[in-house]
Amino acid sequence: MRRLDAYRFSQAGPLENDLIDEFAEGGMDRQEFIKRATVLGLSVGVIGSALAALDAPLAFAAPAAAKAGGRLRVGIIPPPTKDVEPYTLADQGGLETAGIAGEFLTRATQTLTLQPELALSWKPNANATVWTFKLRPNVKFQTGEAFGADDVVATYNRLVGPDSGALSAFKGVLSTGGVKAIDNLTVQFTLDAPTASFPYLTSSTTYQAIILPKDYKVGSYTKISPVTGAFRLTSYTPGVGAKYDRNPGWWGGKSPLDGVDATYYSDDAAVISALLGNQIDLVGQVQFATGRALFNNPNVQIFSTRGATHRQVPMRVNLNNPLKDRRVRQAIALTLDRPGIVKTLFNGFADIGNDSPFAPVYPSTNRKVPQRVKNLAKAKALLAAAGYPRGFKITLTTEKVGEIPQLAQIIQRSVKAIGIDMKIVLLTATQYFDGTQDGPPTGYGNTPWLNTPMNITDWGHRSVPNVFLTAAIKSRGVWNAAQYKNPKLDRVIDRFLGAIAASDQRKFAGQIQDTLLRDTPVIFPYFYNYLAAGSKKVKGYKADALGQVYLSRTSLA
Amino acid sequence: MHAPAATLSSSRPEESDPIARFLLKRLGLALATLFLLSVIVFAAAQLLPGDVGRNVLGPFASQQQVDRLNHELGVDRPIVVQYGDWISRFVRGDLGDSLQYKEPVWGLLGPALGNSLKLAAVAFVLLVPLSILGGVVAALRRGRLVDRMITITGLSLTSIPEFVTAIVLILMIGIWLKWLPVTATAPEGANIVTQVKYLLLPSLALVAVLFGYVARITRASVIEAVDADYTRTAYLKGLDGRHVMTRHVLRNSLLPTIAVVATQVGYLIGGLLVIEKLFNYNGIGQRIYVAAQNKDFVMLQDGVLIVGIVYLVATLLADILYSLLNPRIRFGGVE
Repeated sequence: MRRLDAYRFSQAGPLENDLIDEFAEGGMDRQEFIKRATVLGLSVGVIGSALAALDAPLAFAAPAAAKAGGRLRVGIIPPPTKDVEPYTLADQGGLETAGIAGEFLTRATQTLTLQPELALSWKPNANATVWTFKLRPNVKFQTGEAFGADDVVATYNRLVGPDSGALSAFKGVLSTGGVKAIDNLTVQFTLDAPTASFPYLTSSTTYQAIILPKDYKVGSYTKISPVTGAFRLTSYTPGVGAKYDRNPGWWGGKSPLDGVDATYYSDDAAVISALLGNQIDLVGQVQFATGRALFNNPNVQIFSTRGATHRQVPMRVNLNNPLKDRRVRQAIALTLDRPGIVKTLFNGFADIGNDSPFAPVYPSTNRKVPQRVKNLAKAKALLAAAGYPRGFKITLTTEKVGEIPQLAQIIQRSVKAIGIDMKIVLLTATQYFDGTQDGPPTGYGNTPWLNTPMNITDWGHRSVPNVFLTAAIKSRGVWNAAQYKNPKLDRVIDRFLGAIAASDQRKFAGQIQDTLLRDTPVIFPYFYNYLAAGSKKVKGYKADALGQVYLSRTSLA
Repeated sequence: MHAPAATLSSSRPEESDPIARFLLKRLGLALATLFLLSVIVFAAAQLLPGDVGRNVLGPFASQQQVDRLNHELGVDRPIVVQYGDWISRFVRGDLGDSLQYKEPVWGLLGPALGNSLKLAAVAFVLLVPLSILGGVVAALRRGRLVDRMITITGLSLTSIPEFVTAIVLILMIGIWLKWLPVTATAPEGANIVTQVKYLLLPSLALVAVLFGYVARITRASVIEAVDADYTRTAYLKGLDGRHVMTRHVLRNSLLPTIAVVATQVGYLIGGLLVIEKLFNYNGIGQRIYVAAQNKDFVMLQDGVLIVGIVYLVATLLADILYSLLNPRIRFGGVE
């Protein structure tokens, strides 16, 4: 208690004190307190003191002693679709390849807490517009240079520049010139708007944010391994694989593995047979729909983590068709048997969605908002009230990715029950995302995924729902495929993004959830778990909700 | 044998040497085919859905970024200019850089072509003797149980899609029995024996697909040759059975087999996408497929043209063999 008091008097700001007060008053549970405390940059010691004083002792399990040696053979599916250049990364294979060697300021854990990585601590000002990060000392890049604040500044200036692939995370949050070095081991971010969850944007969930040296030459990532991580990228062959050796100078000590051999796969059957045939030890990503053989095999372990990866089913609200009426959109959403969908498509490895981006895994999600359940009678009544008692014809456009075609068929069958005759147009991902994304006729160009009356799009995990809200829901959101506009909701979203106290976040989240349930511009049927699979000899591996393959503490039995 | 050569030496070359004339004609046709192929593949690449810049930068890049990249890559230039630029570089041996990976195309296609040739070689080594033997045995035992077994087995295997055969082989031989590796790529630095071991399973899948086809052609040709007048004459001349078989029957009956096998070269080099995917093999088929998926024009066009060249070279070699074995060509008769 004394240590906690000392911290509160001498170091803690208003945000940290509010958090501790809220926890003491029972405003959040132990797990959520830890999550939020890590975001605000409270040290492990302070968190432990608070838990000991106000709740129960925090047990920091010592990592099990790992057997050293051996090279782990990992299958990455699909291969990087383009050159592996961190700040422009946009694909799964690329982020996994880059992420095995690269490091971030912070790392998001399986339970959505943040761990220090190249930053040791971080602290906001009173309204979360200025964040100060203390950097880890005595870190060296694998190319020999010492790591410091200038490297962080250069990396983040690239990340907020026009060619960055991370603009979905930083647009409206951080602009050029917003980051500066205070001293060699202190960096200050001045944000465009209050963002209580900013540390998440510096974490491994912003997979482009690998810290690179200040004099990094674009295009050299796979040639010189200019990173600080536990592994050094020693060879890379596009479409074939990559090899990594242990970095003997890693700040985290000696990683158990001697190295990692990554092989790229483009076919689910091939990667599954490779694991079953003992050609690889670990698969970075598996799908239940295509990898059923793995799920009941006694020689295979499944690594599962809950996340916010999901599919959105936007319905255009501004076209001259029945979807313009929110009662019709509600009716369609009410035809879905969500528990059944989750069971069929994921065998339960998913959370049920409630037609807002607030995944059950988020602490900010307001759990008092009622879950939408299948109700055909109500759906028929809504449709009749909207003037379509006999249904209508509509086209659902989507892409051949993962389980999406099956989901499209389920939706087609579901809406048939209320008389809607749905035609499915299935495109390749290339066709689906083809075309322009801004400009005429409605400001979203002509790409199918932002312009078709109704579609299904795949969205990746984020540790906080900010991007889903700003890009897909807000009136001028760049990926607002429903083309939904609600200025009042925009203001609530802004309040949510700037809210620091958990209770405030939940309050605004509840308002957003209620509004989205009422207007239903987008159906969020589920949020599915990220699944990886490995042989039984893989130890200490944890799946990452975004798909990062973090192997620094992994070993082979 | 000397007289015709002496007689024809004073004539024009195309008249003097039927083999040369035959091969020159074939070479000319091959070049014309390559030109046509280059035009077709270039045109087809333009018709592929999607935008190069959008594919490289991903769905979430701004249109401004996409337009800028397209300009940098030169894919916003007139089609004719792009074709001229590509083909002139290709004939000079400059394959350019991959739009997708920003690396020299030859550095990516070269090893893939080498891999495809290795797989094709192992498959050929298994396929040719097996299927010819099967065809000859079936022909010589025409109508008997052995003939029926070979014919029906070959036909059944040919009619099963290659991915089914491959998956069955992977499951049975690779996963259950664990006799052979389920991927085709041997570890780095593996010796030739290990490399062949890794290539056996995909090669068996290919043999299963092609065996019936080649064996049936061989069987039909052998039956035709056995029934031919020259074979009867050979027997009547008092030659022994082995002599007749090797000198007359096989020599004549293998001509169509050679032609058929040669036509499979293109497939075995560039058309093994399914096998390459299932056995995760970095062959040229996969490279071309991925290039097509990502609108990597340069790699796609180069890859198809390289496969075309390999195919035409193989066909030319088959033609040479054919002409050497076929007296009608050798002595200026009908081709």
